Amino acid sequence: MHARTPLRHLLAGAALLTVLATPALAQDETKTLTVGLTADAVHLDPQAGEELSSNIMFYHIYDPLIRRDANLEFGPGLAESWELVDDTTWRFSLRDDVVFHNGEPFTADDVVFTLERLKASLMANLAKNIESFSAIDDHTVEIKTFQPYAALPNDLAAILILNREHVTSVGEEQVDLQPVGTGPYELEEWVKEDRLVLEANEEYWAGAPEIDRVVFRPITNPATRTAALLTGELDIVQDLSVRDVERVRREDGFEVITRPSLLNLVLALDMREKSPTIPLDTNPMQDRRVREAIARAIDVDTLSKVVMNGLSTPSEQYVPETHIGYVEGASFREMYPFDVERARELMAEAGYPDGFEMTLDATNNRYVNDAQIAQALASMLSQIGIDLELNLMPRANFFGYIRVPSEQSSFIMSGWDVPSGDAGSMYAVMFYTRGVKEGYGQVNRGSYSNPEVDRLVEAADSTPRIEERDAHLQEATKILLEDIPMIPVHYEQDIYAARDGVVFEPRTDKFLWAYEMDIED
Amino acid sequence: MLAYAIKRLVQMAIVLWAVSVIVFLMMSFTGDPVFMVIPIDSTDAEIEQARRILGLDRSMPEQYWLFLQNLVQGDFGRSYVFRQPAMDLILERLPATLEIVIVAMLIAAFVAIPLGVYAGANPGKPLSRLIMSGSLVGISLPGFWVGMMLIFLFAVEWRLLPSSGRGDTVEVLGIETSLLTWDGWTHVILPSVTLSLGTLAIILRITRAGMMEVMRQDYIKFARAKGASRKDVLYGHGLRNALIPVVTIFGLQIGDLIAFATITETIFAWPGMGKLLVDSIYRADRPVIVVYLMLVALIFVVINLVVDLVYTAIDPRITVK
Repeated sequence: MHARTPLRHLLAGAALLTVLATPALAQDETKTLTVGLTADAVHLDPQAGEELSSNIMFYHIYDPLIRRDANLEFGPGLAESWELVDDTTWRFSLRDDVVFHNGEPFTADDVVFTLERLKASLMANLAKNIESFSAIDDHTVEIKTFQPYAALPNDLAAILILNREHVTSVGEEQVDLQPVGTGPYELEEWVKEDRLVLEANEEYWAGAPEIDRVVFRPITNPATRTAALLTGELDIVQDLSVRDVERVRREDGFEVITRPSLLNLVLALDMREKSPTIPLDTNPMQDRRVREAIARAIDVDTLSKVVMNGLSTPSEQYVPETHIGYVEGASFREMYPFDVERARELMAEAGYPDGFEMTLDATNNRYVNDAQIAQALASMLSQIGIDLELNLMPRANFFGYIRVPSEQSSFIMSGWDVPSGDAGSMYAVMFYTRGVKEGYGQVNRGSYSNPEVDRLVEAADSTPRIEERDAHLQEATKILLEDIPMIPVHYEQDIYAARDGVVFEPRTDKFLWAYEMDIED
Repeated sequence: MLAYAIKRLVQMAIVLWAVSVIVFLMMSFTGDPVFMVIPIDSTDAEIEQARRILGLDRSMPEQYWLFLQNLVQGDFGRSYVFRQPAMDLILERLPATLEIVIVAMLIAAFVAIPLGVYAGANPGKPLSRLIMSGSLVGISLPGFWVGMMLIFLFAVEWRLLPSSGRGDTVEVLGIETSLLTWDGWTHVILPSVTLSLGTLAIILRITRAGMMEVMRQDYIKFARAKGASRKDVLYGHGLRNALIPVVTIFGLQIGDLIAFATITETIFAWPGMGKLLVDSIYRADRPVIVVYLMLVALIFVVINLVVDLVYTAIDPRITVK
């Protein structure tokens, strides 16, 4: 077998090279975790913007006052404890044993600085419920909200604390490249689009991390990500391609891990007198029966099986069950099961036996299989006579296009997630009557308006007690499920793959966090 | 010569200006960049604040005027998304792209030209036919497929080369390069080969066509008659006269690969600038797109200039004027 020989030489050579290239074998003390992400981080300054990859880095480098765990439970972070002084004033006691990566001690002044800077930044939205704040002493901070607001701790879990000294000395722009926080990891090296390396902060106040070094590699192409996992270049990958799930499952030494995401794909129905894309004098969707017919004509199980390859979870309500405002036992799917016959009857009762025309606005590069879902919806709705025109566009155009007052839209497909674990923030912006109150109804694309829902949202936003907030929001949920201003479709599935030995439990918020992980070989 | 250089510079300025106008106009039709950088449920006041921060609160002509003013002072604007100077974002990714392009062009030249000369000089031979069918495959196979197959074979199945990324780099004269480390080379090979295939096939076919044409000329017969060696006839007399179109295409291909190596970069997770362009388009990040396309236009202008100069070296009958 002459032909074989050169290949064997090559293989031997490669084996030798691999050995030479990994002197790390000797120092197996250091645990290195290599993570394949879908995209590189854009920012390391948590007030400059947000997307998943940046968020992942933020929580390694910085800490919030309140920590959100993998299951959306909220607990102490940099704040040890907190209490309500009066209905709108919260007092937070800060840990006094925390040091920033640059050696500066963490104090109340850093919290004040962080909030000041946040208010003037692109991410001001994160502090929308905070009216004022002040340092009482070195380790006590007082925060006032505009009105009684029970979910303040949930909001604070998304605000990461910066060091005043560092930001002022390196300058605004450099914070993005030289981040300094109190988090479990410090930035070691960032080669844009190639790798971002973090090193354990041995002094971390909650205990030194198990994994000493984390290398994040942005690999956009899903097939390459899978390949790099199989070759051992990566230990774990995010967003394993649906196509590769079976392939990786078959392979020895690897595991596929899935978890429903928080992102609820929803269809907003226009409720205005006259709808932009429906060529009729009155908008049929003002009639609840038409909205119910549309809900019943959509077969979420088929969507899940055929379009999503089984990797989606039909949504029961507008928020997942972990959230404040979720009603135990209530299910949109049970209230309006897929039933074309009943849907046709409802359309006839409402006076539209022959249906009508309208346009669906949807993205084609934002959600998993969004364009295919839109096509499936068109064929499902054609069963009840609704002639659905598809208007698909990239996300760069989409969010400006559908923006309230949504003057070109009747039917919009988009996703919504509430990582703060609170339906209130979603209901306030999506279901509160638009245009009457600053900070409310700005994403109410269908112009839904129900005084009862408005009242409940306001009631929820005016109690400092979380149980009362929950009760008001649950009432609102019940009304919304009855009113159908929006059809919840499904939650996408988050899919990860890891080699054996990686100890990993996916987080609901999708923020991969090495501090919670370990490697056992 | 001086007049020629000045004329070229003026042309270049006009091209660059036109590119900037076109990009500005185009970007006014794409999405509003503000919605790409702020949370969707921001209030109007927050959106206004973001617009002010990004300088998007001014009218389009005003923004363009500001852009020109800053340009004159050497400021190319800041990315809306990264909030860093757009030029820096591009320049820090440029070396990685140049690496795979240079290696790809070298592979293409050193493989395509000898094969093309052979196939052109011996049109009927079976080996020539094989080369020509091979080149058809090279033209027709899509780059992303070839890339994936190379990864599958060399990385996953045989474990000879890494699947992706850039590997170790060293700094030479302030530029990071992976061409001087062994690990870097193992990473460069697959993307470069993928990138070279299309160019290789085109150059091969053009070389062959030129050679077939040239080999029929009287001066080739004369060179043979006077007893020049076969190699001398093929390369000294034949190739040299067939080279003008090859150089032209070669130049255009270099520009093309530098500017739009996007697909190969994405497949191999190569940290080059092509990916930045695509990401910026998705994010409606106009400052980056403007500077990127102006830089690409500049690269093309420079390459064309070099190609013109190379013509005069190949064929003394050509002069620049």
